[in-house]
Amino acid sequence: MTYFSYFKAECLVLFRRKQNLVNALLFFALVIVLFPLGVDPSKAFLAPAAGGIIWCAAALATVISLESMFKEDYADGSLEQLLVSGLSISWLVLLKVLVHWLGMIIPLLLLTPIFSEMLFLPDGVLGVLMTTLLLGTPGLFLIGSIGASLTVSLRQGALLMLLLILPFYFPIIIFSTSAIQAVASGLPYSGLLAIIGAISLLALVMSPLMTPICLKASVR
Amino acid sequence: MQSNISLTISDLWIERGDRDLCKGFSLTATSGDIIHILGDNGAGKSSLFKTLFGLVSPVEGEVQLNGEDVLSYRDPLLKQSLYISHALGLKSVFTVLENIRWYFPKVSEADIARVLSLLKIEGYLDVPIKALSAGQTRRVALARLWLSDLPVWFLDEPFSALDMVSIQLLEGRIREHAEQGGIVFFTSHQPVTLLSPRRVELTA
Amino acid sequence: MSWSWFHKLGSPKWFFQWSKKWAPPVFCLGVLGIVVGTAWGLAFAPKDYLQGNVFRIIYLHVPSAILAESCYLSLGIAGFVFLVWQMKMAPIFIKAMAPIGAVMAAIALFSGSIWGKPTWGTWWVWDARLTSVLVLFMLYMGIIAIQNALDDRVLADKAAAVICVVGVINLPIIKYSVVWWNTLHQPATFSFMKKPDMPEVMWMPLLICVVSFYLFVAGLVIWRMQTEILRREHRASWLKTEVVGDGI
Repeated sequence: MTYFSYFKAECLVLFRRKQNLVNALLFFALVIVLFPLGVDPSKAFLAPAAGGIIWCAAALATVISLESMFKEDYADGSLEQLLVSGLSISWLVLLKVLVHWLGMIIPLLLLTPIFSEMLFLPDGVLGVLMTTLLLGTPGLFLIGSIGASLTVSLRQGALLMLLLILPFYFPIIIFSTSAIQAVASGLPYSGLLAIIGAISLLALVMSPLMTPICLKASVR
Repeated sequence: MQSNISLTISDLWIERGDRDLCKGFSLTATSGDIIHILGDNGAGKSSLFKTLFGLVSPVEGEVQLNGEDVLSYRDPLLKQSLYISHALGLKSVFTVLENIRWYFPKVSEADIARVLSLLKIEGYLDVPIKALSAGQTRRVALARLWLSDLPVWFLDEPFSALDMVSIQLLEGRIREHAEQGGIVFFTSHQPVTLLSPRRVELTA
Repeated sequence: MSWSWFHKLGSPKWFFQWSKKWAPPVFCLGVLGIVVGTAWGLAFAPKDYLQGNVFRIIYLHVPSAILAESCYLSLGIAGFVFLVWQMKMAPIFIKAMAPIGAVMAAIALFSGSIWGKPTWGTWWVWDARLTSVLVLFMLYMGIIAIQNALDDRVLADKAAAVICVVGVINLPIIKYSVVWWNTLHQPATFSFMKKPDMPEVMWMPLLICVVSFYLFVAGLVIWRMQTEILRREHRASWLKTEVVGDGI
């Protein structure tokens, strides 16, 4: 096994299991639809809230889709094989996160303009919303991988993972929606983008350290 | 393949939950050794393997590969060993070929075809794993033994779900590997017929 | 500097024997201090000229809020110690401490909410400090939940330690983000750098309360750790002699 053959295999799994990805995107869409239906469909409510709604939906969809990230590997024994392969498990985790992130972020970025139009996102804000998604979602995925490794041995881990991981998503969501509000009211926002990027970088350091610990402890 | 290789386990103490699986377990294996690890269900045969790979931490003990400690830094052992566990590590969404390619990206098409025909699964190259029977799936996993060049093998119950012909084939391959200077550890509840391995009992 | 105390602390046997001596006095001193501090604060300290008698809830609110944060910091340190040095006592500490921290965060939230009604005119505001204590409470509940969800003890210990460490790294970020997001709360009552603005008769009982809360929690956590040691080390021979010696 090499890093490259692992990467190829991960891409192939993602492709063969594309229904999981479709489900996560449908979930993303449904959460968004909940807001006009459940709160208020008027432009007065939706326009200022649009960025926040899209971000919350993206965070929830990320947790839901990542929960099963290591589950199949754990069940069929390939996780064990990865751990004894002699390759660095930290790199393997990063590769896996990369594949999952790419699989999710591309359709997410394609859907975001459509939903922002439906939620009456103010003009000129879309670009910043996309940038925050691009900068912030790596953090969501990297932190999410820690949660996924914690709950890998549980049959019903989604709820627990939400409870564990969502609090760590708060800063990313807060700074992203703040950046969107800032640009909507004509304030500078580049500092906020830098903070989002910094949080993602911190997650990039933490995830490869913490995820292998939980994975190893789960396979015993 | 490295011709001289030795694995020394000394005074290994493993516990699981509140139970001692083995205590004061010592063993030395050198090139050419075939070691049959015996023990009742739950005696800790799989845990012994997992301890060597660092998935379970022992309470006490030392493991050395060629005189070098591999409990604190396991890479040398991991890079030399092949492990086939209860869970086979095959992806059910992959075909047979994709599963083998994942483990051996560089092995030639002809070698894979040769090994698969030896194992009587040559017609299944493009069939998804989930469409195979239990015995066939096992043989796909065991194909790694013919394709790999790693010297130390850890086989957890390799003979289960196999027919007589395949068992003899596998025993032949184990013997061949030992003759080439490898080390094989395996667990099995059935007695082996062709091999005359060293038998090591695992008791608490 | 000798590290022997560090290694001793890692041994359940040494800790058990040490804690038998120390838990009762620490706990009793804490209880006594809480009684003295609250009695002083509630009955004898002067009324606040702006908030009247309502401010007296400070004697419960501030210590519990401080403890809620300190307990989490201690969990983070214990988690780190466990992940790096595999010290046996660290997960025992985490297991014992997490529910206490959760209770402290809950007390801080409730007392803050009771304080908020007369002063701000509402039970709850989405203010930075309230929100960050709420998040802290959820982090505690997460640690408790993962410990209960995982049956395998080694895995549960590792998982809880990982969550503690990740939490303690993220806590400043979460806090900063909520502070940045919104702030309404009065600034911190105590700071190490400057003398408090309150008159001495008002902050003295508060100081007593805070210190006694620390002692109380320390005593409690040591007792809970003893229980956890009894549960985990029940096969050890030293424990049998210990328990038989106590006549249990």
